[in-house]
Amino acid sequence: MRTTKLVAVATAALTCVALAACSSGSGDEAADGDGPITLDYWAWGTSQPGLVEAWNAANPDVQVRHTDAGGGTDSSAKLLTATRADEAPDVAVVEYNTLPAMIVGDVAADITEQVDEETKGAFTDAVWGLTTFNDAIYGIPQDVGPMALVYNEARLAELGVAVPTTWAEFADAAAAVRAADPDTYLATFAPGEFGFFSGMAQQAGAEWWSVDGETWTVGIDDEPSRAVADYWQDLVDRDLVKVESLLTPEWNAQLNAGNILSWPSALWAPGVIYGVAPDMAGQWALAKLPQWEAGDDRVAFQGGSAVVVTTSSEHPAEAARFAAWINSSEEGAAIQIETGQYPASLTGQELATQSEPPVLMPQQTDFWTLAAEIAGSTLPDISWGPNVNVASSAFQDAMQAAADSGTPFRDALATTQETVVEDMTTTGFDVQE
Amino acid sequence: MTTTAPARGRTGAQGSAPPRLARHRTGRTGPTLVLALGALYCLVPVVWVVVASTKARSELFSTFTFAPGSGLLDNLRDLFAYGDGQYGLWVLNTALYAGVGALLSTLVSVMAGFALAKYRFAGQRVLLYAILAGVLLPGITLAIPQYLLLAELGLAGSHLSVLLPSVISPFGIYLSRVYALSAVPDETIEAARIDGARESRVFTSIALPMMLPGMVTVFMLQFVGIWNNFLLPFIMLSDQDRYPLTVGLYTLLSKGSGEPALYSIAIVGAALSIVPLVAMLLFLQRFWRLDLISGGLKG
Amino acid sequence: MTTTTPRAAHGSAATAAPAGAPRRRRRPTLAPYVLSAPAVLLYVAFLAVPIAYAVYLSFRGLRLTGGGAFGRRREVWVGADNYVAALTDPELGAGLLRLLVYGAIAVPLTLGLALLFALLLDMRGARLVRFSRTAIFLPYAVPGVIATLLWGFMYLPSTSPFSWVTRRLADVTIPFLDVPLLYPSLANIAIWGGVGFNMIILYTSLRGIPDEISESARLDGASEWQIALRIKVPLVGPALVLTGLFALIGTLQVYGEPATLKPMTSAISWTFVPLMKIYRDAFLRDDLPLAAASSVVLALGTLVVSIALLRLGQRRVFGEQS
Repeated sequence: MRTTKLVAVATAALTCVALAACSSGSGDEAADGDGPITLDYWAWGTSQPGLVEAWNAANPDVQVRHTDAGGGTDSSAKLLTATRADEAPDVAVVEYNTLPAMIVGDVAADITEQVDEETKGAFTDAVWGLTTFNDAIYGIPQDVGPMALVYNEARLAELGVAVPTTWAEFADAAAAVRAADPDTYLATFAPGEFGFFSGMAQQAGAEWWSVDGETWTVGIDDEPSRAVADYWQDLVDRDLVKVESLLTPEWNAQLNAGNILSWPSALWAPGVIYGVAPDMAGQWALAKLPQWEAGDDRVAFQGGSAVVVTTSSEHPAEAARFAAWINSSEEGAAIQIETGQYPASLTGQELATQSEPPVLMPQQTDFWTLAAEIAGSTLPDISWGPNVNVASSAFQDAMQAAADSGTPFRDALATTQETVVEDMTTTGFDVQE
Repeated sequence: MTTTAPARGRTGAQGSAPPRLARHRTGRTGPTLVLALGALYCLVPVVWVVVASTKARSELFSTFTFAPGSGLLDNLRDLFAYGDGQYGLWVLNTALYAGVGALLSTLVSVMAGFALAKYRFAGQRVLLYAILAGVLLPGITLAIPQYLLLAELGLAGSHLSVLLPSVISPFGIYLSRVYALSAVPDETIEAARIDGARESRVFTSIALPMMLPGMVTVFMLQFVGIWNNFLLPFIMLSDQDRYPLTVGLYTLLSKGSGEPALYSIAIVGAALSIVPLVAMLLFLQRFWRLDLISGGLKG
Repeated sequence: MTTTTPRAAHGSAATAAPAGAPRRRRRPTLAPYVLSAPAVLLYVAFLAVPIAYAVYLSFRGLRLTGGGAFGRRREVWVGADNYVAALTDPELGAGLLRLLVYGAIAVPLTLGLALLFALLLDMRGARLVRFSRTAIFLPYAVPGVIATLLWGFMYLPSTSPFSWVTRRLADVTIPFLDVPLLYPSLANIAIWGGVGFNMIILYTSLRGIPDEISESARLDGASEWQIALRIKVPLVGPALVLTGLFALIGTLQVYGEPATLKPMTSAISWTFVPLMKIYRDAFLRDDLPLAAASSVVLALGTLVVSIALLRLGQRRVFGEQS
């Protein structure tokens, strides 16, 4: 046959593909049968390898395989797709504000039954509130980011500006900094920072999502949120803060140059700043986040994540046991602290008080005591809605457009609210107008 | 942008007023100058990557952009220490995806291209139009359905999930067809057949050697295409150990909240990753000359 | 190779009755089927089936089932809802408009510079030819994500060498990443990466022009520039149309540059270009069906534009397909 050789070539091409398959090695098949069961765990961050290793050493029957599937946003996007494709891991880390989307996306399983009393007692109610919806628990808290103010202590002292304790003082301090050094700002305002803005709004009393029975109320455009928008509007209009996206090379350069003197953010900020400005160690310090009313002690969370058991898991009980252990045991907490994660558990926060302050602020010996104090004053009952993902991208676009075009920030809140409500209605949620 | 402006301004002046008498002078310096400007425009950012990769973390954002730093060795050490040597894996993965992928793709393309150019067969028209339509499809829109499909086959997340979709290249097939039309004369094929050559021999001994320069081109385009493809591996893979370089470097820059982007590692990683690709392109560029010689002769 | 495109069409059309000829004399052979089998197989598996699935998906929607405040979203049939949503969203149109501005800068400049450099390389008397050719081609080897990152550093006021110079000269910084400069800044990244590749295509094409043609013009007293503009450019016309077409398709599919630059500037929204909106819908909003519908719309749009361009331009570019 004339074509035999051609067939051979064609087959060769296809065999090559098949060969590449073989050479690509490391298949996906897990160890089945009577042996130890294997759990797949998706998580990012430096603490994870240590946590997994410690668990594996102590639990030969339940081995965990760790995969870093990217940071928060990437990882949750992949979780949703993977769940649809039936490729999801057994356990995964999810940021608090995307947890609701993971619940309605059928990724996170209800693990109320699997959480024992001991684990329940390991976290405060405020922290449990972050993973509890309609009285069902969907995840074990891992780390939390109570909001705080990190500031350039050396430069503020040089300019003779006191550390603000209220937002009114913060505005005055911003003006004082501008007056003392025209090249310098007390802080930047990143209009697109959803986590920061929502945290500030919550501190002011906003309730962006709330649920009563089966009916949702969306409060992104509520009065406290508008007040927060107006507050930053005023600072921006008076050129007291600089509108700038966070952690861009530009922001990093300004920070290094000593032209940005504080960052209202959360307890994880020292590590981030050290990452981009290692030479500034010793110059920065931590303070409580300014309050709306003097004497108040209200703080929201910005960032932080929980470990969920997926609906695809064939070993939910073991998965929940793993999630509880890494997040509430003393061994786990020690590893978290060592790698710079602020534990969500009380044991962990207690343990942290005995450790060294972060490398960025070695001079602040009371860092962890202060951190524990801040963590103790976080607001309970913070609730996120099922479409935070929609809200955050809509918020970002609307706020950045407002900043660019000079239209009021509060209008951007209205736009975001409208988008969020419309999306929830289309999906079929019962939303109260 | 700004950099192109002067170049364009200059060329405009050149093009509009070519004084005939001064032809010999402008004929040399003018074009040379414009070319040099173009080269400068293209090289400056590359130089920057190299310079930036020598900067220590604290220097990256604080010293003048083009001032060399003192952290090259530290950066290299950090890069190779990152994730227990993940960078090395990324390099190997990229070589697998782009190298093997482009090779297979070239083979598949040249076979189909030759068939489309030199035979008449049932379904030919449909195939041709399907391929032309395939050229126009945005890849991003296919990545998710491809993912779901491969997940169905149990391949999602594996090396194959990136390799297999990269093998089919409508553009490569289209180019191969064009090339076969021009580089392989019908008379040669006919002569071979009259001499009693089988179809298989016609393809392997006559068509393939004649199409070699075209194949180099297709290979190169596919190689760079796969190398540059970000979204497909990004969607298909969840295990960082299987990432190609682009996705790996991207993850260095987009960490979760509470973790700083690793700019200095990413930059030194980028600088290193460009080297082998540039070397390959420079090497293969020789064959583009082959291509044009044969194109010129046979066209 | 692209260069040979028009020639190819010409050549085979002129020399012999094309491809059909062999068959007339021979009995049917399995060869073409065998040769195209791997391509067809892979095409069906990785293009046709996913496309069909995307089209199917575009008529589905994720809706709440089971009720309750935390009901589960499941896939249901929603008819043309997604198409209505995609087409009535003003952001899709706005994104296309932004794309138009971007394309109006990027496409002509990429092609213009590529043609200019190609002509210069091909010109008698030019020096530094090898060096320039290599240098201009070099950016093609830099992956888009990295190219954008490094241009980002070139643009941001504190790290930009250009702004460094202007600050010292006139105490101003160049707002590369604010509208309106954002568009040329974005286009520049594409131009930087694309000029070399297109230049090589055109240069290859130019080298295919027989020397005698230029030589006789030279004897007639034509200057190098006249030869370039009046003789060479028309001869590489078809190659220009082809590179133009691919530049256009590339423009419609712009995603990487603005997406990578997004964190650095507030001027780029999630819906800045159509593909970013598709990405947002698919991944950030977990609305795959809507993303699929927008993709179908965009793909059809690309098809229409390309066909229109080909009709307008030289049809022979695509060979002699009757």
